[in-house]
Amino acid sequence: MIKNYLKIALRNIKRHKGFAFLNIFGLSVGLAACLLLFIVIRYENSYDKFLPEHESVYHIATQDKTADGLFHTPGIPFPALDAVRLDIPQATTGALYASYGSQISVLGKTPNDPATKKFMEGSGIFYADPEFFKVFQYKWLQGSPEVLKEPNVTVLTQKAAEKYFGSWKDAIGQYIRMDNAIDYKVSGILENPPANTDFPLAVVHSLITSRNNARATQYSTDWGSTTSNFQLYMKLPAGVSQAAINKQLQIFSDKHYENQNSSNKRLNFLRPLKDVHFDTRFGNLGTHVISRSTLWTLTLIGVFIMLMACINFINLSTSQAINRSKEIGVRKVLGSRRKDLFWQMMGETGIIVFISLVLSFVLAAICLPFITHIASIPESLNIFTAEILLFAVITGVVVTLFAGFYPSLILSGFTPLLALKNKITSASIGGISLRRGLVITQFVISQVLLIGTIVAIMQMDYVHKADLGFNKEAVLVLTGNADSAVNAKQASFKQELLRVPGVQSVSYSSDMPSSENNWATNFAFDHKPDAEFSLYLKFADEDYFKTYGLQLLAGSVYAHSDTVRDVVVNETVLKRLGIKNPQDAVGKELRTGRGPWRTVVGVVKDFKTNSLREETKPTMIAPRQRDYYNTSVKINSTNLATTRKQVEALWDKFFPDYAFVSFFMEETIESFYQQETQLSLLYKIFAGIAILISCLGLYGLVSFMAVQRTKEVGVRKVLGASVSNIMYLFSKEFTLLILIAFVLAAPLAWYMMNNWLGNFAYRVSMGAGVFVGAVLLSVLIAWITVGYKSYKAAVANPVKSLRAE
Amino acid sequence: MIKITNLEKIYRTEEVETVALNKLSMEVKEGEFVAIMGPSGCGKSTLLNILGLLDDPDAGSFIFNGIEVAKFNERKRADLRKRNIGFVFQSFNLIDELTVFENVELPLIYTGVKSSDRKKRVEEVLDKVQIMHRRNHYPQQLSGGQQQRVAVARAVVNSPKLILADEPTGNLDSSNGNEVMQMLTDLNEQGTTIVMVTHSEHDARYSHRIIRMLDGQTVLENIMV
Repeated sequence: MIKNYLKIALRNIKRHKGFAFLNIFGLSVGLAACLLLFIVIRYENSYDKFLPEHESVYHIATQDKTADGLFHTPGIPFPALDAVRLDIPQATTGALYASYGSQISVLGKTPNDPATKKFMEGSGIFYADPEFFKVFQYKWLQGSPEVLKEPNVTVLTQKAAEKYFGSWKDAIGQYIRMDNAIDYKVSGILENPPANTDFPLAVVHSLITSRNNARATQYSTDWGSTTSNFQLYMKLPAGVSQAAINKQLQIFSDKHYENQNSSNKRLNFLRPLKDVHFDTRFGNLGTHVISRSTLWTLTLIGVFIMLMACINFINLSTSQAINRSKEIGVRKVLGSRRKDLFWQMMGETGIIVFISLVLSFVLAAICLPFITHIASIPESLNIFTAEILLFAVITGVVVTLFAGFYPSLILSGFTPLLALKNKITSASIGGISLRRGLVITQFVISQVLLIGTIVAIMQMDYVHKADLGFNKEAVLVLTGNADSAVNAKQASFKQELLRVPGVQSVSYSSDMPSSENNWATNFAFDHKPDAEFSLYLKFADEDYFKTYGLQLLAGSVYAHSDTVRDVVVNETVLKRLGIKNPQDAVGKELRTGRGPWRTVVGVVKDFKTNSLREETKPTMIAPRQRDYYNTSVKINSTNLATTRKQVEALWDKFFPDYAFVSFFMEETIESFYQQETQLSLLYKIFAGIAILISCLGLYGLVSFMAVQRTKEVGVRKVLGASVSNIMYLFSKEFTLLILIAFVLAAPLAWYMMNNWLGNFAYRVSMGAGVFVGAVLLSVLIAWITVGYKSYKAAVANPVKSLRAE
Repeated sequence: MIKITNLEKIYRTEEVETVALNKLSMEVKEGEFVAIMGPSGCGKSTLLNILGLLDDPDAGSFIFNGIEVAKFNERKRADLRKRNIGFVFQSFNLIDELTVFENVELPLIYTGVKSSDRKKRVEEVLDKVQIMHRRNHYPQQLSGGQQQRVAVARAVVNSPKLILADEPTGNLDSSNGNEVMQMLTDLNEQGTTIVMVTHSEHDARYSHRIIRMLDGQTVLENIMV
């Protein structure tokens, strides 16, 4: 019996190639999309799950309540480490301190060996204490956490060790030098952490080395100084709850932080390690944070796409049912029961789903490399894992049941007499209203995605083209160190750079005008008490304004100086202080922290100090050479590459001990929005898939209608209807369905995208144009889809179509 | 074998009520060959459908092999049908997706005959209707006469007690028609009861008895000599 069903199913697929193609194509595209989304979502959810006992690991986060609202940082002041251990002894607390943009020189068996290789490491370098490795239980290939008790000791991952020394076994006992200043002896090797971690360890120095070299490593004993790079992690013993520790941390915060009152309060609290990858209030030490709501959106998109593919299947199968009425009739006459026929039809659905599933794996495998560029998943990911196969099987079963149930029920329910006499009509295979409802559902989904995509594209276009208040074009930024050796050569390096043809101006600074760095301090203006908001600092030389085209509203740029003397503030500072006329601020004095009073010599027009997600920060710009990590080179040349090469040659001449690392300002700005760009690309792709699938469905429905209305079309043509009359008859119906879908989709899409735009302090407005555009586009796509079939129906010979009845 | 008494069947639409069978009574004995004739719309096909347990009557009694079946549900009807009744239709009603062999095999599958037995029986019956050489062809590759021979083969493969034939020669030329009629006569001679609806006086002459119907009732019976 099953063999017979299988035979019929395969022959049916062969006979009705068109329908089978639409069904299988729609389902495979839908299933492939689901598979890929599953891979992305599973991957994002797997972060740091490889760590043993990760469920009992917590991060000590910091929250600042100020008059401006709540601010969060993953960092904590350095002295908090010892204080937490003292105040909360029952838990194990470990510290991790990230160092970005450092140079590693590979020495040899002794620190006196000359450097053989130099590497500029953007990330992956950390300081940690032995306790950190009790909280994060990595596998050690050699050595143990205890080695980190000693100063000038480092631990490498297998990969880093192989990169520096060729073989990790050779690395032990050898020396490396960081930033041409501090030497470390390699004393341990860690197994490589997987890619799905927010702690991408490569080189881990002992924390005590940072304490001993506070100035060079920016280690501060000040409770008022917090960097997001210094983080504490805690492992709770069994029986101790997060809530209990949080209570202790509340007491801890009140005890250690100054100026705690009802309007300004700092609080440390625990958040589980499993939130670190998803909590968008905080950054993490890895590549990205992804909100759970984004993952839910992706899940929902997957479910929607599958739903649409199933709807297609239902529509196509029921419309095809008429063709099979004779078979059903004969089978019933020969003694088949409804139950048998139902399972026969379900089986056929299963076969189609199975074929689609196999194809979807092929499609997914083809698309995976492209997805790795869009989503943050590694290229080496295997799609044939037990977990993914299980997901595919479960999805297959669910889809079979969902897609097959209704058509099977309808087909198996044909009365044999009517079936044999070809008297099965649209009425007997279920009201067309059900199929209309299904098509509306499809169009609601695709229009929500369409509107979402249009808004996302507009917003991304806006952020890329937005006036940032400064000139970002053709500014080459060189990053490096600001140690005294470098500082000593900076003036002459600048002179030489300015001689390179095409170099227009050069500036040293701590930071670019727009960046994701925040360096903030309390401050007082005009000899009044401390202002209620923090002042953000950027240190830069006097050429900074020229290099980036920053405009002054009042006063002038400060004179050249190696230390802070005069300062420039931005418009936002004045707005927040309630000063209307910029001229009024010039000449007034300002001090940061408890430092000396400095004169405000100029007010700079607001520029975007951070990404467009954030409001412009109240910012002070002042000279201070010891913080000049960046060299900004404004190039006025058509051949940027040549100029870059010349700049590099000069760098190597001046700073042979330092690797040349450069990027164009535009690239950094681009990188601010990497996640949004990725997401908007994902939305684009999946909206495209959704539209494709709904078009397949529409095509199926119009094919069904063409069959159903053959007689009607014939009669109309005999009575004088033209081809365009008939085509209008068909498209009228679908246009109406799309409009109904639009009425449902528009508010839904508005709500969703309004939430998304809420992530940006600067955003586009969703005008009526977006919605009108989306509906027009849908109608146009639908017309194109419906056009061919309705044309075929319209030009059919009426004699033939009437005889068919 | 068949005894129906006061059988009624009325088709209702919103506005029209059509009486297809009006208190019809008749009997068919085992081994008989009965032809039912009458003008279009007299209720012949309705009667045949009820006899074939494809449709149920609104009132009256239908005793099949001594069992009252008028009120049987779909499952019971299907069971009784597949074991006892074979059908031959005017339009053959072969399944286009199955080969000749597979079409004939289908009733045996539904009655749960083992695969090896099925092959033997299908081959036997295909041989009998002289279509064995076409066993692997699809219906659309056969002539009308050949298709009807396959349909007859399918109807008899399960050795049913009763064969219902609805204008079996209606779509055939006279020589193919005669061949099919001869096949039915042979089956009848081997003991199968046959009830045939026909418009053709020529075909009706193959039967033992002609029941003539008008407006849902039997009006005349001719015994053939």
